[in-house]
Amino acid sequence: MPLKLLLQLSGRNILRHRRRNGMMLAALVVAVASVVLMNGLIRGMQRDMADMAVDNLVGHVKVLAPGYRDDPGVQRSFALAADWRSALAPGLLEGWAARLQVPAVVISERGTRGVRLVGVHPVREAVSFLGDVEMAGEFLQDAGDGRILVGRALAEQLETAVGRRLVIITEGVDGRSREAGFRIAGLYDADGTALERAFVFTGVEALQKMLGTEAVTELSMRLHEESQLPQVKAALAASFAGLDVLDWRELQPQAAAMFVYADAAIFIWFLVMMGALAFGLMNTLITSIMERVRELGMLRALGLRGRSVVAQVVLESSLLMLIGVAAGVVLGWLLAQALGEGIDLSLWAEGVESFGMRAVLRPILLVEDVVLIAALSLVLGVAASLYPAWRVVRIKPLEALGR
Amino acid sequence: MSGEEQSVVRCVGVSRIYEQAAAPVRALRNLDFEMARGDFVSLVGPSGSGKSTLLNLIGGLDQATEGEVFVDGVALTGLNQTRLADMRLHKIGFVFQSYNLIPVLSARENVEFILQLQGVRSAVRTQRTSEALAALAIEALAHRRPAELSGGQQQRVAIARAIVTNPVLLLADEPSANLDSAATGELLKLLRRLNDERGLSILTATHDPLVMRYAKRRMRLRDGAIVKDSALSPGTATDPMP
Repeated sequence: MPLKLLLQLSGRNILRHRRRNGMMLAALVVAVASVVLMNGLIRGMQRDMADMAVDNLVGHVKVLAPGYRDDPGVQRSFALAADWRSALAPGLLEGWAARLQVPAVVISERGTRGVRLVGVHPVREAVSFLGDVEMAGEFLQDAGDGRILVGRALAEQLETAVGRRLVIITEGVDGRSREAGFRIAGLYDADGTALERAFVFTGVEALQKMLGTEAVTELSMRLHEESQLPQVKAALAASFAGLDVLDWRELQPQAAAMFVYADAAIFIWFLVMMGALAFGLMNTLITSIMERVRELGMLRALGLRGRSVVAQVVLESSLLMLIGVAAGVVLGWLLAQALGEGIDLSLWAEGVESFGMRAVLRPILLVEDVVLIAALSLVLGVAASLYPAWRVVRIKPLEALGR
Repeated sequence: MSGEEQSVVRCVGVSRIYEQAAAPVRALRNLDFEMARGDFVSLVGPSGSGKSTLLNLIGGLDQATEGEVFVDGVALTGLNQTRLADMRLHKIGFVFQSYNLIPVLSARENVEFILQLQGVRSAVRTQRTSEALAALAIEALAHRRPAELSGGQQQRVAIARAIVTNPVLLLADEPSANLDSAATGELLKLLRRLNDERGLSILTATHDPLVMRYAKRRMRLRDGAIVKDSALSPGTATDPMP
């Protein structure tokens, strides 16, 4: 049967039952749009989790002294050679930062808190969340700046403010306690209170001086392309023999696991929505086809082959799916655009942070995802039409004509 | 030319037995029948006599339990469904009792459709469709859909669809069953004209005495067997042509 004729018949048969097919199409559009939107939101969440994991002083890849992750202290540090970057091909790194990070206790007149005291080179921190953080007061001037940056949430807990002094106690490289007073240069406002409570920053050289070392505890790097991670890791492992070279998925296993779960969530949502819809489509097709058994029997009596009947039923289903999927994708895209400013989840900020997400969730539509959703929907549509087609082809032309 | 080729239809010892739970039903019993090319045969008989069963066997819509059915020299027994479908498409025209037009296509499209199935080129298709519509005097109705046509008009479209492929045989099962007497008269004149002018072989199954009068040969069936086979002289038919 010529394709043109098949298309003509299928198109007109769809228009034959406008209300029924219209309702089917509406369900299809809503389902596809919801899958597209949900996919966009989950992708946005994934991007948040990945970005936050990378921004959160981790970077794409980090070099650490062995055992540092289990017992993070100044004793587990390493000296950074001036020419360490020669091991890497040029152009791979977006930025890097060497830090000295130790556990410490910070004391104000009003309270005491355990924190991570991080010695940084302010210019290099463009690779972390410090690079675009909102700041009340001043940022650190240079690596030798002996003032500190405190998170807004921690400052509230300690009831302190910019310009005030805090006492910090930590352990020196010789294992003895070191205690010093630091003036607060600024209060940073990170995208999440957990970061603000956890980290206090000072100049790396100032901290090295306080602890009596010239070493660092970590070298964090951010890449232009995450896909280059294996290549960079391999080069670093060779260059920093004896040290741990770990990527963000290894350093933030919870975020990495959530990343995988999010992929599964997209797939499950698709299966639930489109699976339910496939049964609806199948039901609609069976009703539509069984109403036309006599007509299809007549066509076969005139010489239409069984496979052409199957092709007609499959094409009808495919046309319905094609229209529904196209409209659904457009609707999903429009909804995602309408949510372009993001969904404000700040009411549930703590819960959201525990999942490694930002307080504002923005949908992200990836072309490959939309193409995959559309293709899978069409495959599902074809699959859903095979049973009705099989049922009608099983009826012999003579039997069909007698109905 | 062999005898087989002279006959458009030949049935040899044909039986059709329907297996029923209570007992097998013998719809046709060891029937022998031959129809010459260009003949117009009317199968008559009461309900259950086997008229439609014979028509279905000859049309390749059903398979004989015993015996052989030849159409245009081709034995239908043993042909698979695809070959049978091709046989129906290229050699047989069907006219059904209830017209069976495709409701979503116009009259012209319903006629042209069968040529599209045959894979006929567009230009040839258009010409042959126009000729078929003209032969049935329904050019003016070409763009109407079946629901916009009377019963008689729909049956004309069905006949146009049946003859547009130039079949070797036209099978008509109770073609006048849903028509009033005026429409039936017109339909029969048409069929007779197609038979006379084009030499189209026509085999009809009917209860209608009027249809019987327009045929050239009348074959009476009872209980699945031919009980009377009468060739009608031109004078026997009651004013077959206008």
